[in-house]
Amino acid sequence: MIRDSQLFQPFNDEPYSLVGESGEWKGDFELDLDPDTLRRMYHDLVAGRMMDERLGRMQRQGKISFVAPTAGHEGAHVAVAHALEPGRDWLFPYYRDTGLLLAFGLPPVEMMAQALASRKDPSRGRQMPSHNGSKDLNIFTIASPIASHIAPAVGAAISMKVQGSGQVAVTSFGEGATSEGDFHAALNFAGAQGAPIVFVCENNRYAISVEYNKQTGAESVAAKAHAYGMPGVTVDGMDVLAGYYVMREMVERARSGLGPALVEMLVYRFGPHSSADDDSRYRPREEVDAWKRRDPLQRFRRFLEARELWDDGAESELRSEIDAAFAAAAREAEEAGAVPVEWMFDDVFAERPAHLEEQLHELMD
Amino acid sequence: MAVQTMVQTIARTLDQEMSADERVVVLGQDVGKRGGVFLATEKLFDKYGPDRVIDTPLSEAAIIGSALGMAVHGLRPVAEVQFSDYVYPGFDQLVSQVAKLRYRSGGQFGAPMVVRMPAGGGVKGGHHHSQSPETHFVHTAGLKVVFPSTPTDVRGLLRTAIHDEDPVVFLEPKRLYRAVKEEVPDDPDFFLPVGKAVVRREGDDVVLVSYGGSMAETLKAADALQEQGVSALVIDLRSLMPWDKGAVLDAVARVGRVVLVSEAPRTVGFMSEVGATIAEEVLDMLLAPPIRVTGFDTPYPYAQDRAYLPGPNRILKAVKRALAY
Repeated sequence: MIRDSQLFQPFNDEPYSLVGESGEWKGDFELDLDPDTLRRMYHDLVAGRMMDERLGRMQRQGKISFVAPTAGHEGAHVAVAHALEPGRDWLFPYYRDTGLLLAFGLPPVEMMAQALASRKDPSRGRQMPSHNGSKDLNIFTIASPIASHIAPAVGAAISMKVQGSGQVAVTSFGEGATSEGDFHAALNFAGAQGAPIVFVCENNRYAISVEYNKQTGAESVAAKAHAYGMPGVTVDGMDVLAGYYVMREMVERARSGLGPALVEMLVYRFGPHSSADDDSRYRPREEVDAWKRRDPLQRFRRFLEARELWDDGAESELRSEIDAAFAAAAREAEEAGAVPVEWMFDDVFAERPAHLEEQLHELMD
Repeated sequence: MAVQTMVQTIARTLDQEMSADERVVVLGQDVGKRGGVFLATEKLFDKYGPDRVIDTPLSEAAIIGSALGMAVHGLRPVAEVQFSDYVYPGFDQLVSQVAKLRYRSGGQFGAPMVVRMPAGGGVKGGHHHSQSPETHFVHTAGLKVVFPSTPTDVRGLLRTAIHDEDPVVFLEPKRLYRAVKEEVPDDPDFFLPVGKAVVRREGDDVVLVSYGGSMAETLKAADALQEQGVSALVIDLRSLMPWDKGAVLDAVARVGRVVLVSEAPRTVGFMSEVGATIAEEVLDMLLAPPIRVTGFDTPYPYAQDRAYLPGPNRILKAVKRALAY
């Protein structure tokens, strides 16, 4: 029974952490990941960071209208993606999940095309940047209204249970989302149904400018799980291995029919809320700098180096490789051209009704 | 053919659809053992069990939001909101998630689901059991909206709604749930298209357009007009999004006078759209301006509900104005 071998007891006082700041393994169990997997995790961390940086540059160049910066969240992103089976499990993400989407298999060209609203965008230029989705990859298309995707995730998980599909749903959101009524409605229903879902809160302590202690009087987000009849676990989200092992356990637990769990990943948003935000109005620079010194990429790199799995040569090779791939993806997305105006009238319904046909002609004729 | 009330027709239609397609599930508050507070899901729980007839927590956001996830994952959920007046905690789910999913995903995902809700007044329920919320849904691109008025139409449209690839808000005039029994077709091929009106009565002097709970009053008004020697052409819209513009414009162009009856509040109500369309498209065929007979722009009242609802007398007054214009 998984319960008997549970490594991570819920409602822990200190966040679970397995790798120390200088890269040392602190776990009281044997690491069971092979070197290729560990290097792949590092690849995914760096890819998430580099995509974030590239999208930021594109926004400043005026090529895209907006971006939701994700740097600082990558440890949580890669942990979640690696605990799931891409192609089988389902993801209901939010808009600060760039690294998670890439690690779950979203092709960089689709991410670029979505940001650019180009013809290569599978969602046909319908939303602002940072709002991807992919039916092929079971990634539910992101919506802006906070927490509104959590109940749909629960519905999909109930469907998985009813159909006995053996799949698991994971939904991610920030800690601001936990104040919405729909968060409560969704977790409450998941608990009542024992649905195979893991709720992942990427708690970066600020909902735009509103600090955690103004968001809730709860000692932690994980503590809220207690009332919904599910385990709540707090993890150092800057430690990719801690996030991974906790997620793996909670996903296995859900898959084997033991019901939902809430995982709180403590992360920090290095950048502003969005390209339209000025975070210097509400966050002291010393605080941001202190968190940047806890960068999830640096910590995991030190871990790999301590095991002689990484060095400067590997680092520069990896970065050139990712940079070239992203540059090619950006070019491909851009060269596809902008979506045409008449696409505006498609996909309101499966078939275009007469009144939309009329409105299309009113515009185009 | 079975002789049935509207609410019996709903339960039987759900039963047959669930029996024919195991992807069809029913969810909502009290839909299980209780069979729904109006008995619209009666006996389904015993037959299909808790995995397909899902008693939910008391949360419209959970009901509508989870129905969307079920639809995305391959089920065909039919969600019940106990009264349309209680949809608002789930309104964000309908507006932001359900209605927008196909569009925002570029057609990758659809939302094949039905949200049933008893709507409208006439049951002495005060404003929180009596409102007519259809305009909210019609104004939200991506939702289909139907509001049938007879057991037969409920059967044909509910079947179509369950088979539809898009989300359908299925409004049921609760005061007609048990008002009429009629022979309802059993034919497995009997479907009614969303977006098609029906002419309930032919006539030459005035067109009466209505839908949902107000249809019964509109037909009573047509009877009274008949006695006065005025023949009314009566159209039941049945669907509001999309709506059958052609049927209305044809009739109005032929007859020249039209009275639009809806119990929803007047300002920006559905009949405002119908009236504006008539004015835009067939103005030169009109012998009188389109006249609306609607609920008033107050909250739905408790003690004065009979005065609030458009009844035959108010409809007759409007017809008189149209004829005298």
